[in-house]
Amino acid sequence: MASLDEHYDPTPGDDELEAHLQTRNMVVNLGPSHPATHGTVRLRIELDGETIVKMDPEIGFLHRGFQKSCENTTWTNVLPYTDRLDYVASLTNNFGYLTAVEALIGLEIPQRAKYIRVIGAELHRIASHLTTIGALGLELGGFSAFLYAIEARELITDRVAELTGARLTTSYGRIGGLNRDLPAGWDEKVLKSLIKIEELLDETDRLLTRNRIFTDRMRGTGVITTDDALDFGFTGPCLRANGVNYDVRKAKPYWAYDQLDFEVPLGHNGDNFDRYYLRVLEIHQSLKMIRQAFKQLPAGPVMIDDWRIALPPKEQVYSTIEGVIAHFKLVMEGVPVPPGEIYHATEAANGELGWYLRSDGSGRPYKCHVRAPGFQILSGLAKMCEGRMLADLIPTFDTINMIGGEVEQ
Amino acid sequence: MRLGLVFTGVFLILGALFSVSALSYAGGAWLEGFMQAKLGVAGGGHIVQILVSMLVCVMVMATLLTLAERKWSAFMQDRTGPNRARLPIPGLKNSALAGLPHIATDVVKMLTKEAFRPATANRFLFNLAPMMAFAPAFALFAIVPTGPTLTIAISDYTSRIVMSPTNPDSGLLLMFAIASLAVYGTSIAGWSSNNKFALLGGVRASSQMVSYEVALGLSLVGMMAAFSTVRLAGDDGMAALQARYLWSFNAGGFDIGLPAWGVFLQPVGFILFFAAAFAETKRAPFDSPEGESEIVGYFIEYSGMQFGMFMISEFVEVVVLSGVLTAIFFGGWSLPFGNEWLSNLEIMRQYPILLGATFGMVFWVKVVLLCYLQLAIRWTFPRFRYDQIQTLGWKILLPLGLVNLFVSGALILWDPSLKALTIVGLLEILAVVGLTLTPPRQVRKAQEAASHGGHGGGHDDHGHAHDHAPAALSAGHGGH
Repeated sequence: MASLDEHYDPTPGDDELEAHLQTRNMVVNLGPSHPATHGTVRLRIELDGETIVKMDPEIGFLHRGFQKSCENTTWTNVLPYTDRLDYVASLTNNFGYLTAVEALIGLEIPQRAKYIRVIGAELHRIASHLTTIGALGLELGGFSAFLYAIEARELITDRVAELTGARLTTSYGRIGGLNRDLPAGWDEKVLKSLIKIEELLDETDRLLTRNRIFTDRMRGTGVITTDDALDFGFTGPCLRANGVNYDVRKAKPYWAYDQLDFEVPLGHNGDNFDRYYLRVLEIHQSLKMIRQAFKQLPAGPVMIDDWRIALPPKEQVYSTIEGVIAHFKLVMEGVPVPPGEIYHATEAANGELGWYLRSDGSGRPYKCHVRAPGFQILSGLAKMCEGRMLADLIPTFDTINMIGGEVEQ
Repeated sequence: MRLGLVFTGVFLILGALFSVSALSYAGGAWLEGFMQAKLGVAGGGHIVQILVSMLVCVMVMATLLTLAERKWSAFMQDRTGPNRARLPIPGLKNSALAGLPHIATDVVKMLTKEAFRPATANRFLFNLAPMMAFAPAFALFAIVPTGPTLTIAISDYTSRIVMSPTNPDSGLLLMFAIASLAVYGTSIAGWSSNNKFALLGGVRASSQMVSYEVALGLSLVGMMAAFSTVRLAGDDGMAALQARYLWSFNAGGFDIGLPAWGVFLQPVGFILFFAAAFAETKRAPFDSPEGESEIVGYFIEYSGMQFGMFMISEFVEVVVLSGVLTAIFFGGWSLPFGNEWLSNLEIMRQYPILLGATFGMVFWVKVVLLCYLQLAIRWTFPRFRYDQIQTLGWKILLPLGLVNLFVSGALILWDPSLKALTIVGLLEILAVVGLTLTPPRQVRKAQEAASHGGHGGGHDDHGHAHDHAPAALSAGHGGH
């Protein structure tokens, strides 16, 4: 048998010299505990150098069993669970849920309550957008912009705390209106805060938008085509950045939005910059809306006068038998929602917040499903990032503003 | 009360810098004379310089910068900054002492933390990397002059003192050589940690630092040509040559004029050097090797004092870069006016050590101001993307550096008195200021759109992603 040595030729052949270096893609786990993945999500990323070849967002780290919890409690008691969906803008969830239940009952709430809901929801829309803008600045290395935005958000949080008694988990509003009216002098305080918020927003905006490094990193990154955005089910700022004029507040006005004069800002590139700047413009529109709402705010009750749905006043509970019975039935059995099903949507900060509710006539939801806007948008993240650089993932992940609470429920 | 406190602080700092400079002259003169008389070797002055300006000034300033960065950033961001650490001493325990105890707590924290090493990391290289990162940053200061060359008489000795830790003929070339060593520390740290994030950071750091060295060297060639020297210290060094006036007149014994500072001769060179050196220090906006929100950084696996070495080397780099910038572009130790008046004062002639200490103080004040500038930049700018850093280095800084070199070279040949170069330099400064003050295109468009009533304008459907402005985000009206 001839040994291998006889055939061994130490000079390499041409094909060997031209052979490419064997490389393997590197798999990196971004998260669940990583500075950029706020909201505990794990991004499994396959990297070729700095380029993302394949990305797989993995959710479930914040799953709390939202739907099952809702089925086990009365319609009113679902409210605290909704706080924890989009915890940056809990009032929009509160009011969205309440409006859906009211639509299922076929209930018309007082005008004043409608305006206060607009004010609350728009305040929290501003808060959510400010958080997005600030976090975006933070993760691109501009810590100052983050603190300016958070200072403005802090003002909103203070006002919301005065209104609802809680900074984050508001649980404000009840089926049929609101559980309490505005505190005395609150409107002036809010209007004063709005001026300061506008100043801080302009400062943040100038610091970021007029910075060449920032705009270079935002323009043309994280692009998604309009068709893809529609296919994935994008809504809210992420869809409007593609120029699709869909805003539930305009398309199917609820509360007092048809009484207010506002515009829906649109982008047309569907990139990070449009998603970012759209939010800046939306804050300006929200500020305008709040000011209008305060001007138009009618006097009157904030809760309907129907003891099957609204709690009777305390003195009636203590002094009349009707009051005691109504109170007892409301607390023990819950609001009697007639059997039926409904899909009702409102515009939350990140897009269409839809509620599919089904009632079997008992005081508890038979089914309570949330169409959280972030879930569909997160599913499109891989499409936006694959083939792009790792560093582009960071602003993209920020501008889609994934909130763990609503995506994973 | 508060103003008084500020003035006290400023005088305290100036006094400290003055006395350190005086000490450095006195000690240098004595040791130089002593060593020459007793041992017959020169270089005693340099030894004192190594001790005083490198170990005392640079190290203390770098340590104080850890606090200053927090305080100054807090100042920029409407915060209070560090004020929690207190000294449990009666009378002081209710005072935050401007956050000074935080320096001590930082040191204690760093030293007492476990120095963790991953089991799969290369032990030798893992331990070597922090030292490799720290040493070059520190050694860079070796050629920077902190004061004029003076003849000082102290006790029995009279000696001529060159105020820099060393003064080799190679000068700036030595600086480039040492600066290019810094890349080893970071890339070894990234590689030896055996961590994917650290590896990414190390690779980013090495590519960034290697490519910016080209621009770094090129940006200084103009200055070398203008003064026909690569030395910084000494009578024929750049710092001393910058103390001359290009145009000057004498107002009653007090001289006023335009000094030959590098920033007037070579403003473009200054900007290029500053940008390239900033990229070398790996601080924001060039901190993509660290990129704490993406890859967490090349030092992700380091803890305790090993991490502290990386951190403090960054601050040392800030001080050293300020020192180098001062020496090359901001006239070193000289004042912008009144240099001759000051040196001709009776008391200064009698005691040259006072003159040296005053100029030394001026140098360190300039260094502190430049440190502040660097921190302000770090806290305002977002981070570049990795490929944008390369684009900036190769496609912008390098061609600009070449153009600057050719233009400067031609001007120096045409007018060796450097006056033509200065006039062009001043025009360049004007152009840069003008460019900075004109609002960017998108803002101009927004202003135009606003003056046209807000509608109609701003619909720009060019379709290319890079050409659209915020104002082009049009507003839709009404629902469908």
